[in-house]
Amino acid sequence: MKFKKREDVTERSKSGSYFALFLTFLKASTFTFAGGLAVVPAIERDAVQRYKLLSRDEFMEYATLSQTMPGVIALNCATLVGRRAAGLAGMLAAGFGAILPAFVLMVLATVLVNLIPQHGPLLGAMRGIRAASAALVLSAAFSLGRFNLKDAFAVILMIAAFLLVAVGTLSAPLVVVLAGVAGCLYQQIKRKYEGRKSDDH
Amino acid sequence: MIIDCLNLFITFVKLGFLSFGGGYAMLSMIMSEAQRFSVTPAQFADLNALDMVVPGSISINAATYVGYLARGIPGAVSATIGVSLPSFILTVLIMRFFVHFKENFWVDATMSGIKPAAVGLIAAAAVQIGAEVLLAEGKRITDVFTDPFGTFSVICIIIFVLTAVLNIRFKINPILLTILAGVVGAFVLA
Repeated sequence: MKFKKREDVTERSKSGSYFALFLTFLKASTFTFAGGLAVVPAIERDAVQRYKLLSRDEFMEYATLSQTMPGVIALNCATLVGRRAAGLAGMLAAGFGAILPAFVLMVLATVLVNLIPQHGPLLGAMRGIRAASAALVLSAAFSLGRFNLKDAFAVILMIAAFLLVAVGTLSAPLVVVLAGVAGCLYQQIKRKYEGRKSDDH
Repeated sequence: MIIDCLNLFITFVKLGFLSFGGGYAMLSMIMSEAQRFSVTPAQFADLNALDMVVPGSISINAATYVGYLARGIPGAVSATIGVSLPSFILTVLIMRFFVHFKENFWVDATMSGIKPAAVGLIAAAAVQIGAEVLLAEGKRITDVFTDPFGTFSVICIIIFVLTAVLNIRFKINPILLTILAGVVGAFVLA
């Protein structure tokens, strides 16, 4: 992967690509719910096919990378694509486009929800919704667990993380750091052990 | 005010850098930090319901929500900029130095620990939210020792179990389930 300057981007078309980047990610964020990977096809259609900001292969590589690196997935995708297509200003334009709808609409929604009177049938409705909402968080743990619990090490880490936060009241960010360290140690030991085994043969 | 906003900003920069693998993992971390900004588990349950109907990234929505509840618009701006900043910084760094970031042994090793832990963290968040939103009216979770059967609302528990089963086992649309829970609640819990 090389990052040489694209010859086809002239100074005049650059401001056009800032706007195209902003619009691409603004649209993608406005019309996709629950974020994450759901936005990828919409971004591809605009960034690759309509505005031709980068090639399809490049885009797919960035879409994959945006899930591996830390941070907000949809925003990672925006900053990577923006940086590649039009430098630092492109990154800012794309990132701003991705953030803006989520921010504005969420402020509006929060203001509206706080206006709901907390008594009578509306409070009843809110209590029902909250019970369902807690269940859906649990459901998210299940669907993520289906993909991420491949061996005994993973199951032990999951249980440990659960207990440390739910019972031990450790802070979740600290548990994430500890889990990352545990992953490094485990994979390093596994690599050493497997290396020794293959030396024996 | 400025100190509070700075606190929000720093907390969300930290969460952004530690967030791997999507919105719900981020939600569970925000949940654990949100108590510092006096956001209750019930408000957090509202956030999760709002996330489904408000467009945009779960994490950005969550930062905006927590920031707004803590300190109004300035708080929302601080938290949102905070949670977004890591993406910008890491993009510049990765493009400059780590072209093969995704094939790195240590990145994979770190993820092999964080991904399963995230499952546990999300389950813990579900339990923490459930422990508050399933309570009967006027009860506290500590009442469970003196009054184990009266502490929780039976109807809320039925809604919780049915929603979980219908979504996990039968893949019924979560927005539909939330609306149904709201309708049932308006009639039965009022």
